Amino acid sequence: MTDQEDALTRMIAVLKQPVDIGPDLTARVMAEVRQAPVPALDETATPERNWWRRRWTVRFGPLGALATAAGIAAIALASQRVGRRAGVESMERSATVARTPGPTQFVLVAKEAKAVSLVGDFNDWSLSATPLTRSDGNGVWWVTVPLVPGRYRFAYVVDGTVWRPDPEAPAAEDEFGRPNSVLTIGGS
Amino acid sequence: MRDTTPRVGFFGAGLCITLLLVMAALLLMGALPNTAEGQEPRLSTRIPVGARVQIDSILAAARAAGLPVEPLVDRALEGAAKGAPPALIVTAVARLGQELASARAAFGLTASAVEIAAGASALRAGATAKDLVQLRQLRAGQPLTVAAAVLADLVTAGVPADTAIAAVFALAGGADDADYLAFRRTVQQDIALGASPAAALGVRLQSLGSMADSPAATGQSSPRSNKRKP
Repeated sequence: MTDQEDALTRMIAVLKQPVDIGPDLTARVMAEVRQAPVPALDETATPERNWWRRRWTVRFGPLGALATAAGIAAIALASQRVGRRAGVESMERSATVARTPGPTQFVLVAKEAKAVSLVGDFNDWSLSATPLTRSDGNGVWWVTVPLVPGRYRFAYVVDGTVWRPDPEAPAAEDEFGRPNSVLTIGGS
Repeated sequence: MRDTTPRVGFFGAGLCITLLLVMAALLLMGALPNTAEGQEPRLSTRIPVGARVQIDSILAAARAAGLPVEPLVDRALEGAAKGAPPALIVTAVARLGQELASARAAFGLTASAVEIAAGASALRAGATAKDLVQLRQLRAGQPLTVAAAVLADLVTAGVPADTAIAAVFALAGGADDADYLAFRRTVQQDIALGASPAAALGVRLQSLGSMADSPAATGQSSPRSNKRKP
């Protein structure tokens, strides 16, 4: 063994000996940390500004996380409902603004009918939205609908199943195999 | 001395993060369908979901292009009310969307929704986009809805498209909505009495021309009626 190897072996033996760091190491280190100067956030800033820029440590447990998430979900769901309601109201308002109503009477003679409804571009083609009223005994069915100038395609539905065009009105294009009539209302 | 600061343990932190992520995912899953633009609520109960998705995309495209959406919704609802197959409804809505786009291009960006819809009807009846451009020029500053609608009505009544277009153009200079409607009504009455559509239209046009040429008619347009009849 050379002198160098012998010196190295002795150094390693010394380094391998246990070091007693004492039971109060944590306390001593923390004391040093607390005594160290704290860097200013901003020398020119007011305390209020520093408050906004100060870093915060937030701790919460599982229950707190659950409560936070539930709160966020509730706010989001509430905003969606408000948004949907606002959308519907917006549509209704725009429809009201766009359509200054004027009465238009629809008449159909159907003596054997038990019920007649009017469907068309003005009522979402709803079979139940615009039922006609029967005049006494003569088989004349009628209804008055407020309409603004425009071109409307429509039809009558007799007894819920039979589609009939208006015999007095022009025929309109149809792509679905049931006849339509058309009503054009001028505005100028 | 031990640090007594309360800590969130490994499992506690993991649980918190997991809960937050799960809640965020649930929130997104619930929010996405509701916040998607272009969904038409009136279709939700009347159109099968597959067709509805396609129609919603057509509506969204129409909105983005600044086209009126109401005629498209009406067409879908009409198909649903008539019990049409969903694929046919989608095809009809898509076709109408193209016609609305052509009508808007012909009538210009200032055209109203009802003008565009009437223009689309005229295109469906057989008019061309060029015809609509000419109609707009002939009726500069005047509403186009009834003129385009009458054009569509005449063709649907059996008048050849080029004849109907010529008649609507002939009236375009000075006729108002009531004149157009009265003209269409008289032509259809003649057709109902047995005249051929082309002949009925020709006769009525001729009578309008002779009225316009007569000194007595100077300053007066064709007879008008305030009574609204289909």
